[in-house]
Amino acid sequence: MDDAVQAEAMVKHYRSRTGVVEAVRGVDLRVQAGEIFGFLGPNGAGKSTMIKMLTTLLSITSGTARVAGVDVARDPDGARRRMGVALQEAGLDPRQTGRETLVLQGRLFGLSAHDAVARATELLELVELVDAADRRVKGYSGGMKRRLDLASALVHQPEVLFLDEPTTGLDPASRLTVWDEVRRINQLGTTVFLTTQYLEEADALCERLAIIDGGLIVREGTPAQLKAELRERQGLASDPSLDDVFLDATGRTRSRAAGDVQEVTA
Amino acid sequence: MIAAAWVLGQRALREAWRTPEALVPTLFIPLFFLVVNVGQAGKIFPAQSTGFLKGQGYGAFQLPASLLLAASFGTAALFLVEDIEGGYFDKLRSAPIARTSIVLGRLIAELAKGLLISTLIVLLGMVFGITIASGVLGFVLLVVMTASWSVVFVGFMQLIALKTRSAAATNSGGLVFFPLLFLTPNFVPRNMLTRPMEVAASFNPVTYVMEGLRSLILVDLEWSKILPAFGVVAVLGALMLALNVRMIKRYD
Repeated sequence: MDDAVQAEAMVKHYRSRTGVVEAVRGVDLRVQAGEIFGFLGPNGAGKSTMIKMLTTLLSITSGTARVAGVDVARDPDGARRRMGVALQEAGLDPRQTGRETLVLQGRLFGLSAHDAVARATELLELVELVDAADRRVKGYSGGMKRRLDLASALVHQPEVLFLDEPTTGLDPASRLTVWDEVRRINQLGTTVFLTTQYLEEADALCERLAIIDGGLIVREGTPAQLKAELRERQGLASDPSLDDVFLDATGRTRSRAAGDVQEVTA
Repeated sequence: MIAAAWVLGQRALREAWRTPEALVPTLFIPLFFLVVNVGQAGKIFPAQSTGFLKGQGYGAFQLPASLLLAASFGTAALFLVEDIEGGYFDKLRSAPIARTSIVLGRLIAELAKGLLISTLIVLLGMVFGITIASGVLGFVLLVVMTASWSVVFVGFMQLIALKTRSAAATNSGGLVFFPLLFLTPNFVPRNMLTRPMEVAASFNPVTYVMEGLRSLILVDLEWSKILPAFGVVAVLGALMLALNVRMIKRYD
């Protein structure tokens, strides 16, 4: 099968007041067309930097990336036409209505005014926002904003959809709704590349995943493969959870993870 | 590029229309200063005996300062910072459009807003007895010159917005207009300023825009004042546009 996303030796360096920060230090990735690919990592591991480079929003210090066969650095507009992007914070204009948001997005992707309106109506039905279509976005709930953001990323029927932490901050019910949307979008033939901090999300949605830590890929495979590898390596009696795989891969421990949320009483 | 800039300009106009609380001060504060300045200095410069007023009241002399103030709020740049902070700017950057159209869209909207606001201020001035000595063509030039200045100024503010990505810094940057406004022949003509002030005013580009606006109100079409004013607006406008384009293309 063709690769929907192909990254080779990708590096991103930032200059900061304290010197050069190496956010991504040589990442190779291949995402097959039609799959839901999960990109995991702790905070500051390089997930968002990586997704921003792949989506043309950040320059690449070195290395190459192709999305749907198009080099993102050499032909950014060509790559943008083939990808949809929904970043961590739902990138929406609170003063526009849901319908206006989608129509504008359609126009920016080259649809005629008539076609943009028709596509907006279609997408509002897809994400079940027809009733709220003519209300301003600032009145939407977090879940509605996420769904509208998803819809706006789909306006031009992209081959690859990038979702950066699509369910962060959502309540459990809204999270499940977004999962259903992601599955539905994927079933329609769109490759999904998503970053998440929720391991159960990766387990539920992703066919394959990669874990990044310190700007490097430290694990890659299907959830089942990663669990089996850890089970074998540590001689466990049963399959570990994806949490265990993540903690093992990132060098973190359960006690430290538990310590982050431990209650302290006087 | 033009098509994308146009739809983004329409969106920026909707944004302005739906935020009257940001639009109202643009109208109210310049009118407030007009009333206050005329109230404070009107008696010093009576229409009958003050040559530089060309027979009009002091309000006519002060109107250009109010127009320039109205054109120098730069609220569009604050909306741009909101877009950056809220993530919508990245949504726009991920569309296959020229980066230039993102800044151009806002500048087009600013021009339209500037035309509307300056028309309203001039019409209000006329209701209170100010006449536009240069006639209908002068009225049009007055409004176009003011609106063009608003594009220049918002271009400057957008530079700060794109560089700092901070509402506080962008807002503070806008305050640079106040020294520029007061280093002009704001209360009296340039030849009546003290020598140091006259020199400072002569180096200040806002002076030429103010004198151009003033000539349209007080005198007939005086091209020796009008052309330098449009020249300043054109040169600074081109500079701001070039810097905006450079800044957004390098935005990372």
